Amino acid sequence: MFRLSRAGLAERWPLFIGAALTVCLGVALVQSSLLLLISAATADAPAGQRAADPEAAVALLGVMLGFSAFLAIFIISSTFGFTVAQRRRDLALLRLVGASRRQVRRLLLGEAVLLGGFGAVTGIPAGLGVLVIQTRMLHRFGFVPPQFEPQWRDWIVGASIGTGLTLALAGALVAARRAGRVQPLEALLDSGAAARVMTLGRWLAGLFFAAGATAMIIVSGHAGPDGGQALAMNVPMATAVAGAALAPLLIPVVARLLPAGGVLGGLARANLRDGKRRSASVAAPVIVLTAIVFGQLAAGRSFAAAGIDEQRRATAADLVVEAAKPFTVRLPGVAAASVETSLPAQVTTGSGEDSETETVDALVVDPADYVRAHPSSGSLAALTGHAVARGPGGDGVPKQGNVRLRVAGTDLGAVPVVARTPVGIGGGASLLLPAGLVPADVLRDAPTRAFVTLKPGADAAATRAELAKLGQVAGIEEWLAADGAARTKTNDDIFLIVVGLGALYALLGVINSVVIGAAARPREFAAARAAGLTRGQVLRAALLESAAVTVAGLLLGTLAAGGTFVSVLAVTSAVTGHSTLDLRWGPMALVALSALLVTSLTSVLTSWSATRAAPITLLAARE
Amino acid sequence: MTTTTIPPTVSAVSLRGISRVYGRGTNAVRAVDGVDLDFPRGAWTAVMGPSGSGKSTLLHCAAGLERVDTGRVLLGDTELTAAGDRELTRLRRDRIGFVFQSFNLIGSLTAEQNVALPLRLAGRRPRKAEVRAVLAAVGLADRARHRPRELSGGQQQRVAIARAMVTRPEVLFADEPTGALDSQSARVVLDLLRAMADDGQSIVMVTHDPGAAARADAVVFLRDGRVVDRLAGAGAAQVADRLVALGG
Repeated sequence: MFRLSRAGLAERWPLFIGAALTVCLGVALVQSSLLLLISAATADAPAGQRAADPEAAVALLGVMLGFSAFLAIFIISSTFGFTVAQRRRDLALLRLVGASRRQVRRLLLGEAVLLGGFGAVTGIPAGLGVLVIQTRMLHRFGFVPPQFEPQWRDWIVGASIGTGLTLALAGALVAARRAGRVQPLEALLDSGAAARVMTLGRWLAGLFFAAGATAMIIVSGHAGPDGGQALAMNVPMATAVAGAALAPLLIPVVARLLPAGGVLGGLARANLRDGKRRSASVAAPVIVLTAIVFGQLAAGRSFAAAGIDEQRRATAADLVVEAAKPFTVRLPGVAAASVETSLPAQVTTGSGEDSETETVDALVVDPADYVRAHPSSGSLAALTGHAVARGPGGDGVPKQGNVRLRVAGTDLGAVPVVARTPVGIGGGASLLLPAGLVPADVLRDAPTRAFVTLKPGADAAATRAELAKLGQVAGIEEWLAADGAARTKTNDDIFLIVVGLGALYALLGVINSVVIGAAARPREFAAARAAGLTRGQVLRAALLESAAVTVAGLLLGTLAAGGTFVSVLAVTSAVTGHSTLDLRWGPMALVALSALLVTSLTSVLTSWSATRAAPITLLAARE
Repeated sequence: MTTTTIPPTVSAVSLRGISRVYGRGTNAVRAVDGVDLDFPRGAWTAVMGPSGSGKSTLLHCAAGLERVDTGRVLLGDTELTAAGDRELTRLRRDRIGFVFQSFNLIGSLTAEQNVALPLRLAGRRPRKAEVRAVLAAVGLADRARHRPRELSGGQQQRVAIARAMVTRPEVLFADEPTGALDSQSARVVLDLLRAMADDGQSIVMVTHDPGAAARADAVVFLRDGRVVDRLAGAGAAQVADRLVALGG
């Protein structure tokens, strides 16, 4: 069987190029992300350093890891699914000469093992290149301290080989099962029995993921700010899989709505309807790309916008002063000022083996001033002496009970959490400390910000000039805009990385499907030419067809992204009281146009190469 | 119901009242309609009939590739009608051989690898000499290392016959084995089948070609899914006349 797998791969290697590249890329990314993850998680942060954010780095790498594995399996499974559909006659023939179902399954899995091995062998060196790029990226976005260096581990070679095999085998599993069910009789039927495209598995997968997405959308409105955002970000994955699984059903319906005139338009439309499976395979990566990019983009942007809105509603001040060290505001024109000094704090919860330590942002505040400047914070009256309150960031701090607190190397012991502010969508400090809890010398170089409210009728210009002696002064609107932009930037950076990765995979997937689809069509093209079409007309019909499929995929992907839009509206409405949806039409249009360009270009190239031979030689050849 | 029994003693394949219906209601087509037929052991039987007479369906049912709606199919004394997938797989491996109009060799394997395939699928490690001997028997000893695309149509069909015969099956089913061949290659293939039948091989062959049918020991004629006639030891002209009379 293994020899047959090898011979099969050698025979149709062009069909597997896309899958091999996918495994290679998957192995490289998983290897590099794993090495960085371990290096970041085990690296000791130098004392007093706060530039690095190991948690953000770990989270980002985790997302990349999961995302790469998800997309790799997705593309490999569609490649294998497609090649099985195209080789039904061959597989039936094997069954006819005595192969059992299990042997046919083993044939496919054998091909997957070879593919996985190839992917691992090429992916391990490629992973070294990816490691350099990823490290540079983490440095640039400030996720790791400047001296951070990824460390090589010998066991990663074994892990990468395992990754390659697992990715390929997981991707081939469904196709192998499907191959095992091919009936021997299909080898004898000249046309080859038209295999049902909407199989039970497809229906189940489509409906399962659609139901999962619906559940996530419903739950997201009730899951709080963190849970809600996480769910909303995951909705496009589920809707994308659902859309891709149901594509053979939906694509012809959507394509029928597209305008297509003339003989070529009619031919393209007929081909599209007839080759439901081929159309669905081309559309699937487009659907995944569109759903994930549009969905993530909308979710990221909307949550950032909702955070800014929330901040605006929750802040009562006229001016904001920022300085690199603590200061006090005592000026005649000032009615109130909340001076907030920011510093990192280590919070330990639980005890013994269950204890968990997290580094969080803490703010040293005057509780009364803080509540005045942030009116929706609730009561912080209890926040005096040896006590802390949970802040709007919420992460890592329990709602009540005791936590063990360390600030800048000083152990402050067990401290009760006596109050909490509502957790906001835009995050912020996780911990509020009353003035006096932290020794003054620790705060000496801590960045400090004051929210200043002027007295009615005070001389604004004069007060502002006085404040400028303390630090940089900004009007509240100006500060909100700048703060929002800084927040959005991190968001955009992460988005760019994740989407770039998704786009790369989707690109591979699209090219793969078009290449495989066209590889089986020289005879069909030859028949069209024998019927009187010129080569140019055949190319145009193929181009029209692929464009129609892409547009249909884009529409379905947008529909799938719509699930996220609904979820985003539910989360923002539940958390901030205002529904926010911020759609960026520019990047969305760019993604759509790029997808169209890639499919069109690939389609023209492959059909051009498929029509190179004279039609008669193709029509005459049987075997 | 049409009942025709070919006299010789033990049957290689027996069809007992089999029917196969495609479609439902008003669209239903009775492709095979209550056929009782015995294919004698050690003889070559040709099945002929006009297009749509049900001869391919009959062959598929007889080989256990397609289920019958009513009736029983027996290979020797094994009932195929009730056999599960595993048992049918074993039968195809050990007791049945197939030859097709379009050769159906595996393009990525050489001639000898194609021939050895059924044995390897059965878990055996065939000796090279054993495989070469079968290839030599079809006159292709010197083409063992060639891939199908490097062989002519007639050579490919002979490789296919060698592949079918390597397991020494009880019955060889052939579906239009000369349909895609020129007359010269067709004659070589028919000579080969004749020699095999003379050695005691049971062969069931569906064909359009009266010349091919005339090489068989007996010819069964089908029309509208029923057996309507049979001839034994007839020449090509006689077979052709009978076929024309049936509207084929």
